[in-house]
Amino acid sequence: MENRPHTANEETTEYITLFIDPQILSDFEFIDISRFKIADEKNSKLSLLKKGDRLWVNFADGEHCDFPYYYKNVKSILAGIELQKNLRVSTNEAFDGFIKTTQNMEKKVFSSVSLNPGENVKDLWDEIIKKVNLISNESHSLRSLMEKLLDVPFLQKFESSLVILHLKGQTKAELLGIIWRSEKTQSLIEVKDFNAFFNSIKKSKIKSFSSDTFPKMNLPFNGSFLAKEVMSKKYSMVAIVSRHDFLSYSKEEVELFETCIDLLQPHFERLIDQEFSDKRISELRVCLKDFPLPLRIRDNISGSAFMNDLYTSELQDKDIFFNKKVQGPFSLDLYDSDELRHYAFDLFHFQRISLLGELLNTLRHELSNPLFGLKLGSQLFSMMDVNTDSKEIMHEIEKNVNRCQVIIENFSNLYQIQNESKPVALKKIIDESIVLSKSEVREVRKSIQYLNNTENIELDVPLIFVVQIIFNLIVNAAQAMKNMEGTKELTLTINAEDKNVYIDVFDNGPGIPADKLSQLFKPFFTTKSQGTGLGLVLSRNLALKMGGNLEYLVNNSGKGAHFRLMLPRT
Amino acid sequence: MNTILIIEDEILIQQSLKKLFERKGLKVDVSASGKLAIDLILNNHYDRIICDLMLQDISGFDVIEESKKKFSPEEISKKFVIMTAYNSPQVLSRANAYQCRLLNKPFDDLEQAMRTMTE
Repeated sequence: MENRPHTANEETTEYITLFIDPQILSDFEFIDISRFKIADEKNSKLSLLKKGDRLWVNFADGEHCDFPYYYKNVKSILAGIELQKNLRVSTNEAFDGFIKTTQNMEKKVFSSVSLNPGENVKDLWDEIIKKVNLISNESHSLRSLMEKLLDVPFLQKFESSLVILHLKGQTKAELLGIIWRSEKTQSLIEVKDFNAFFNSIKKSKIKSFSSDTFPKMNLPFNGSFLAKEVMSKKYSMVAIVSRHDFLSYSKEEVELFETCIDLLQPHFERLIDQEFSDKRISELRVCLKDFPLPLRIRDNISGSAFMNDLYTSELQDKDIFFNKKVQGPFSLDLYDSDELRHYAFDLFHFQRISLLGELLNTLRHELSNPLFGLKLGSQLFSMMDVNTDSKEIMHEIEKNVNRCQVIIENFSNLYQIQNESKPVALKKIIDESIVLSKSEVREVRKSIQYLNNTENIELDVPLIFVVQIIFNLIVNAAQAMKNMEGTKELTLTINAEDKNVYIDVFDNGPGIPADKLSQLFKPFFTTKSQGTGLGLVLSRNLALKMGGNLEYLVNNSGKGAHFRLMLPRT
Repeated sequence: MNTILIIEDEILIQQSLKKLFERKGLKVDVSASGKLAIDLILNNHYDRIICDLMLQDISGFDVIEESKKKFSPEEISKKFVIMTAYNSPQVLSRANAYQCRLLNKPFDDLEQAMRTMTE
């Protein structure tokens, strides 16, 4: 060993230069080499090498120690080196310190296998490591891995082998594994109970426990057990083995078990990754199964790759109202269905409303300034010495600008309050609806009648919902009367009872033919060439949402249409 | 009160205000750009500066900040009148920090707005 002058000066302090076998780095990806001074094998004081099942630690003078090849040993050695580095001692001291660490560790490791006196310790270790490697390669699920774990030499007298796994973000943890060496077991555990359990395992120094200590876990056996926690980015997990008796475990058994779990960690990771992704797929399938419209995923080879419960073979291509190529050979079809589709439209509708809200906000900001300019300009001109005619025109411009401003304000106020409901005067609701529909009902004679002092009633409903419904009814009425000869009349009457208010919208148009009445509130039913057939459906949905209703009242005169919006009083 | 600078990028607003002030016998300079306005402020004398907040290049607040090179905070609070169409709480609190007069666009009452700007 090289003898260097001892110095406490930090700048001349050298830390052990280290070589780590690339194989070790790839086996234990979690080693952070940035924390060490890494050199090539020739120039390093210490080399960590993988030789078969052994970990070799080569010293610069040609000496070597070997250890069972597992993560824990690599970790302890590296931790020893890092400790010296952090203490900022010079090379020689660091080296001495390192030797002490490895010697301690060696002692610990070799004492830990003394539970089988008479056997060659190295052989036992080799056997354990071989077995662990074998079972981890043979296992294709977490459960089978746990099952095979009981074949590892020192665990052959154990009865159960379990894991409790909590995938981050899930509301339950899952216990699975085998008891009595053959009986499969599986159960779910509340996350908070699991967390408490996990923490007690983590904090405990002895790692040997009794099932009585954790009544909430409902462990499927009675007696003492060994447990070791494993944590990664995606999950936290506790591995458990038990002999189903009440004897406590030896220090050696604890060490061996911990070592096994350490060794298995990369395999846990792999298996959980696999099973987790399978689980996600099955969860996605369940979601699709519950989709409220008939749905089919087609592939161009076998036809149907997936269908949900609402899909029936009677459905035909003409019933498809939405089709999208998804990925690879797959395409997704959604079919029309009377009962259920309004759910979907509700969703589209709300998306549209919030989009519209944003749009309106932008519009308001963008239009306000030019409108203000127009207003100022026209005010300026009407102050100047121009003739009366021009003044009048300027005045008209100003009036129109004001009107634009009011409309923009109204619209954006409407959308600002969104779904919030706060008491709003019934009269305000009606006024807003009239202002918004002004251009649609230009040639229509309007009359609004408040009965029983309903002007002053306040409703605890979202303004936007009600305005939208009334706006819709007014526009419908106006359009129904559009090509009509004679006077077009629109009447709104507002009335109230103890519990409800009624807003009735009458027109004197052609009315709804009796044979069309049953379809009136069905999606896509429309009598207009440009209509979507959604207005009344959405309006009724909104009314129902507020605890009210929207209905068509058949009048006996056979003329005109009469819709009634009922809303609950606060 | 003799000279006034109007910083406003909506030309119709800018020119209308200019004419309105000129009718009152004031000498008016205008700028649609914040950067040009800063030049004008630093190199000329103005009794009053009417400043829009949303300009194309920089904000009206930036103009005021730059003017600190020439004016004391007290002078700023007297000289500047802030015009804005976006009176969000953030804008209001920032404008208050300068202690300037604040005018909302559009003006509810033109005569009163003119008085606020020229007082």
